[in-house]
Amino acid sequence: MIYLLAGNPNVGKSTFFNFMTLSHVHVGNYSGVTVEKRVHHIKHYEGANLVDLPGTYNVSPSSEDEGVVTYSLLNEKYSGIINIIDSTHLRRNLHLTVQLLELGVPTLLVFNLRDALRNNGYVIDIEKMANKLKTNAVCISARERNSEDRINISNKLKNLRAFKALELDYHPHIKWGIQRIRDLLRYDSLKVDKKWLALQILEGNEGIYKFLEIVKEEKIRAVVSEVEEKIIEDDVALSLKGAIFNTRREFINSLVDECLFQVEDKEHSKYFNQKIDRILTHPGWGIPIFFAIMLVVYQLSFGKFLGLGAFLTSYLDYFWNEILVFYLGNFLQLLGITGFAYGLIIDGIMAGVGGILVFLPQIIVLFFMLALLEGTGYMARVAIVMDRFLSKFGFNGKSIVPMITGLGCTVPAIMATRTIADKKERMITILTLPFISCSARLPIYVIFISMFFDKYRAFVMLGIYLLGITVTLVSAKIFSLSFFKGKGSKFLLEVPPYRMPQLRTITYQAFEKARRFVKKAGTYILIGSIILWLLSNTGFSGINIDPKDSFLADIAGLISPLFIPLGFGEWQATSSLISGFLAKEIVVSSLNILYLGDIASGFTTLSALTYVVFASLYIPCISTVATIRSETGSRKWTFFSIIYPFVVAYLVALIVRLILGLFI
Amino acid sequence: MNITDLKKQEKAKIVSLKKFGKQFMDRLMDVGIYESAEVTLLNILAFDKLYLLEVDDIEICLRKEDALNIEVKQ
Repeated sequence: MIYLLAGNPNVGKSTFFNFMTLSHVHVGNYSGVTVEKRVHHIKHYEGANLVDLPGTYNVSPSSEDEGVVTYSLLNEKYSGIINIIDSTHLRRNLHLTVQLLELGVPTLLVFNLRDALRNNGYVIDIEKMANKLKTNAVCISARERNSEDRINISNKLKNLRAFKALELDYHPHIKWGIQRIRDLLRYDSLKVDKKWLALQILEGNEGIYKFLEIVKEEKIRAVVSEVEEKIIEDDVALSLKGAIFNTRREFINSLVDECLFQVEDKEHSKYFNQKIDRILTHPGWGIPIFFAIMLVVYQLSFGKFLGLGAFLTSYLDYFWNEILVFYLGNFLQLLGITGFAYGLIIDGIMAGVGGILVFLPQIIVLFFMLALLEGTGYMARVAIVMDRFLSKFGFNGKSIVPMITGLGCTVPAIMATRTIADKKERMITILTLPFISCSARLPIYVIFISMFFDKYRAFVMLGIYLLGITVTLVSAKIFSLSFFKGKGSKFLLEVPPYRMPQLRTITYQAFEKARRFVKKAGTYILIGSIILWLLSNTGFSGINIDPKDSFLADIAGLISPLFIPLGFGEWQATSSLISGFLAKEIVVSSLNILYLGDIASGFTTLSALTYVVFASLYIPCISTVATIRSETGSRKWTFFSIIYPFVVAYLVALIVRLILGLFI
Repeated sequence: MNITDLKKQEKAKIVSLKKFGKQFMDRLMDVGIYESAEVTLLNILAFDKLYLLEVDDIEICLRKEDALNIEVKQ
């Protein structure tokens, strides 16, 4: 048994999904958090699966991820649909509901956000609503996670039955069009109701032609144009879609008037939202407030002052290096393990994995803070505040959301660009996102700063981030003037109401990131460390050799002269950069292994700085490249996303060396 | 008159979205802006570049060049 979960963006579909399946998919308070469909078992309902679809206002796709919904309705096997409705925005949400009910498959309507509606002083007469729409309906508050609601919904799903498809009284021209198209569809064998398909085609659902091979496509398109002309000619509406929309809207208005009741005279929460927004999106204060918030996030994660993350990391570092490694070393010697095997375990594995694992607390704090920001609804306000500035560089205000996500990890950031409707702006955002420093690159900065620039810690750190942002902006400007010319697109942003994020959700999200980080340390970095240590301790003359004669030195030696102009032409530094292509965390692990824990010995102040600059900008990691490949669907741009950052990193590092070389 | 002629917190009725292309008009309808809707101008942001509107309790933000295309009457 499969049930599809459909609804408008940001109505709590993922929260409902987590509630029903006891899983933990990512949730946030802005449109477009779910970009791929996800499947999980329903609790209390043996053998039933729930499919979480991306949010959509309409069955007809208007952006890439909305196409997923049409595709699923047409081609997947399912037993029913669960339509999640934001009870506080009934008038808009019910448009999708009407379209789903017109399909005539078993449907359960879940009116979510009962608590928010009640706080505004309203309730829904759910029985009346169900009767009017001739379907099954419940009213809940998914974030309260009431287990009775869960059992109730599971039971309703078990007894879900099909009612007759909803029929609205559309304009005669449209009825005529539906009849004509139905006739033309008789050549196709379809499992979906033809009347519904005809109406969807009239509405302009291109997905139908794309996902079904319609025999009489041309004739059908001619009928659509004919109906559209008649509608405009007779002044029924501005467009065919508009005429269909108007009929639905009238139906919805009378439905809402009958089923929504005010039970208490309360100040609507929107007035509270608007008061906060007057400050947070203030023309003068908006941007400084945003930077102040980001500064607090970073200070808490990495700073010395108030730095919860950095504080915990120093303890973990002590525990790992002074206690764990010390006792393990003694234990190995007790067992008589020395030489090559001892080196592999202590100087290879423990140094490589430990060098990264100690950053775990900082990563947890950072992701916790980012989840907190996402959950409140502040991200949409940042998009407003930044739109004017970003549009000057060829971005869209909405690009700021992936950019902030990119401070954590570039992979989800690239996926988050799907909410940007304009193709050009989306490509520009994807191609420049890798320049925003992700959390995997942070250990590199932290290590070098603590060794060479401890006095100017905050200053250098801020400088690296600003450099990344500057390169992002300049690159975007260059791309928008060369590869992606043309006028800027529209900015149309829905501003969600503020919501109090749930502690359990954001804590889970932070720990989920932590789990992945530990998993990465236990797989990629562990294996990477072993291979690196082995390659650097074996050579043509066997084992126990001078590392200068190792295989790794030979391999890296081929490339390292390239980096001499930048000041770090040693094979150790080069090998670390090469292995960083697997995952940026490995750069620090391999530096620890190859310099035998004494990284400072391999660098001067100047070369340390150019190394950090280069490492912050060069080729994105392999997961990022793979994501760029799947999101752009273009080999050309994937290739470009590897070459361009390398060239930019090289040039910027060279400039930094030449300029600062005069002073240092 | 259009949206930009309104004062902050003033209400009006949308009379036409004809000035938009078909695609953007469809998107506006999807998010909940349609002809005959009652619209409130909530705020003018980013130094007269962005307009924050409210229709049926939904808050929508768009740029001035697009706000100019929404014709309203009071």
